[in-house]
Amino acid sequence: MKKLVTLVLSGAMAFSLAGCGSSKKTSNANATKTNSDTSTLFINLASEPDKLDPALNTTVDGAALAVNSFVGLLTYGKDGKLKPALAKAMPTVSEDGKTYTVELKESKWSDGTELTAKDFVYSWNRAVNPKTASDYSYLFDVVARAANSTDANPVLDVTAEGDYKLVIKLNAPTPYFDQLLAFPVFMPVPQAAVEKANPNGDKPGAWAQEAGFVSNGAYKLTKWKHNESMTYEKNDNYYDAKNVSIKKLNFMLSADDTATYAAYKSGDLDFIDSVPNDELKNVLKSKELKTVDQLGTYYIGFNVNSDLFSGMTPEQATSFRKGVSDLIDRKYIVDTVGQTGQVPAGAFVPKGMHDGNGKVYKSNYFDATKTGSSNIEQAKKDFKAAGLEVKNGKDKSSFKVTKNGQAITIPYMINTNTGHQKVAECIQQDLAVAGIKVNIDTEEWNVFIQDRKDGKFTVAREGWVADYDDPINMLEIFSTKSGNNDVQLGKGNSTAAPNWKHYDELINKIYSSTDNAERAKLLHEAEKELMATYAAVPIYFYNDIYMQKSNVTGVYSTVFGNKYFMYAKKTK
Amino acid sequence: MSKYILKRVILAIVSIVIVSAITFFAMNLIPGGPFNKEKAVSPQVIEELNKRYNLDKPVPQQYVLYMQNILKGDWGVSLNNGRPIWPDITSRFAVSAKLGFSAVFIATIIGVILGSIAALMRNRWPDRIIVFFTTLGTAMPSFVLATLLLLVICLQLGWIPVFDADNPNYILPIIALSVYPMAYITRLTKTSMLDALNQDYIRTAKAKGVARSKLIFVHALRNALIPVVTYLGPEIAYILTGSMVVESIFTIGGLGSAFVTSINNRDYTMIMAVTIFLAILMVVANLLTDIAYKFIDPRIDFNN
Repeated sequence: MKKLVTLVLSGAMAFSLAGCGSSKKTSNANATKTNSDTSTLFINLASEPDKLDPALNTTVDGAALAVNSFVGLLTYGKDGKLKPALAKAMPTVSEDGKTYTVELKESKWSDGTELTAKDFVYSWNRAVNPKTASDYSYLFDVVARAANSTDANPVLDVTAEGDYKLVIKLNAPTPYFDQLLAFPVFMPVPQAAVEKANPNGDKPGAWAQEAGFVSNGAYKLTKWKHNESMTYEKNDNYYDAKNVSIKKLNFMLSADDTATYAAYKSGDLDFIDSVPNDELKNVLKSKELKTVDQLGTYYIGFNVNSDLFSGMTPEQATSFRKGVSDLIDRKYIVDTVGQTGQVPAGAFVPKGMHDGNGKVYKSNYFDATKTGSSNIEQAKKDFKAAGLEVKNGKDKSSFKVTKNGQAITIPYMINTNTGHQKVAECIQQDLAVAGIKVNIDTEEWNVFIQDRKDGKFTVAREGWVADYDDPINMLEIFSTKSGNNDVQLGKGNSTAAPNWKHYDELINKIYSSTDNAERAKLLHEAEKELMATYAAVPIYFYNDIYMQKSNVTGVYSTVFGNKYFMYAKKTK
Repeated sequence: MSKYILKRVILAIVSIVIVSAITFFAMNLIPGGPFNKEKAVSPQVIEELNKRYNLDKPVPQQYVLYMQNILKGDWGVSLNNGRPIWPDITSRFAVSAKLGFSAVFIATIIGVILGSIAALMRNRWPDRIIVFFTTLGTAMPSFVLATLLLLVICLQLGWIPVFDADNPNYILPIIALSVYPMAYITRLTKTSMLDALNQDYIRTAKAKGVARSKLIFVHALRNALIPVVTYLGPEIAYILTGSMVVESIFTIGGLGSAFVTSINNRDYTMIMAVTIFLAILMVVANLLTDIAYKFIDPRIDFNN
């Protein structure tokens, strides 16, 4: 029997070795169909997109599909800057900053019908209509309402003057309004098709649920095998069709990064938007790996109303949170978990964001590369200021913090995800230095986001990626009425929570500010106030990675994670 | 027989109604909701969506409305992507059925042949090799096998592309799906074949000089197949519902992933539709299995 087993095993090994040997011959990348077809890009972004209607999309991959199949008044160029798309030139802005006038190019929908300023008026009013139930309709809050507007049937103060001129009235000067004009929810949708597919008004996205719908971007969707693949073909009616050389985009619809990475390695894909965590270290030095800074912050949220701070004054609670922040080694997290060159965060507003007054917004509240073990003395001071007892340990590298003689335990809530788990474990180790125990509570995604919003947690993993390049988009989430104020600032009655009225006033002032220089100052003031609470403890600024074969050039990505494929070139 | 089938069909309908009710109330108890997003959605949008999909009504009323619609043949739309459920489920089922039937077909043919060989050549080398591979086949989780197939066949050997939008290749997922049932059927056939071969009637037949081939195929194998049929019924229903793991690794739009993603998304209409669909498949498969008994073993009497 033993002999037999040996025979079988050696046979199996010989077979697998034979497989490895021949692989060198057959895995020649040039041999695949993908590589020989230079007019098609083979791409993976994610799994099946939920909605392709640009007004209803809410996901990053959906937005990438939207920017390749629809186009608005403005778009982003390769340099990451805004440029006119359907607009003839950048909008003319009135002196008070509240009226935008846009001259449109003559352009057509993919079915050949004319696309005029009226299409924009229709599409934008449709997006804000509650019946459409568009998640991103709030981006239109800056646009003024017309005289006949009601809550049930809102009408924007946007008028088409003739076929190719659009006049937009805003509530207040909005330094980032140009950016919104390139955002998917501001893209036009074909009225006739939308209304035909939705006669009763209860299926607003029905027109774009199968291949073949009318669009106006560089590509139109011609084939959709749900949960498997999508094929986009060049739209000859695209306003810039002459510069589009790739004829087809073929998307593999998968979120299994083992499969997508295998497809990339085998040469069946030209572009992948994610790399399995275990493979990261193998590809870090590859020229095919591209890294793009994103405007977003990975942070830790403290529920300011939690029992963790019971009996403390707001100042003491802040000092406690600051002590925790001091001990978190951000550089270690970035180097060992993030791995792709994320920047440790010493402020909430991400690096590289603009201040709405023509300058880069710069802020830094502590040296984020030097937190952790080198910060122990500062942490001790902060814990003492929080009214906690601090006892020195046997050596300088550890100490023990207690509250009323009791050891401190912090429940830390994350969603099921290897990366978040690893970050949580780093934090667990960092706080162990102070004798603080961190219990990691893992929740399923849907429950997790619900619990976070409801404030049913003590400390939770958090992240925010901006929708547009302006600090207000980062800071407004902490206003009392915001649905994203997970840390519960201004909510609840805890005596340990900071008074949040002034912050809310600041945010409102920023909304209505008419002076951009003054506005930039207010933004800094608001961030300073937020950072002073240590309720949102920044860890690092996000970046985005993707891999692209060396024979493909011209694909570019924005700081929001949108990939533009239409100006790509592919050689053999 | 027809009386028996009628009784079974009525029972089946009752079980489907019970399954649907339990699922409906249970899924409404799970925390979270279909319109939960990381970036908060405005209360107005949530209100509009709840109204649109009847979620603003009490749960028992929602259930009654839902079942009324089902009786009218209206499966509703997915709360997640707004697409009609019925065409989605049927197209996913078409894919899962194609893969599932092929896998079960291959597994049964090869399993019965290997099982019979193992039984007839008990304790000799073919039996040992078969036992080795069936143990491996039943022990290896499908995600390991599927990943291994992907890495070796697609990546190392380059025989089949990992992704080809125009000609998706179903060979590997069929292999991945068929290995476990094949191994299981082999073991089942072997055991029951051995059992059958030791029965008195086989000895009698042998003594009467019945040809060996007739002895094996007509007398022994036919009886040995009863446990295999018992296993096959639920296994067919199970395999037709797709496998999340295999679908995910080979990028196949089957039913398995629909179940898991619908639960993750709290896509209530989709959860209900998939559950009811699977319940129907399950009872039909069980019914067919029982009827198949009758043909294999005429001694089985439905009236008692």
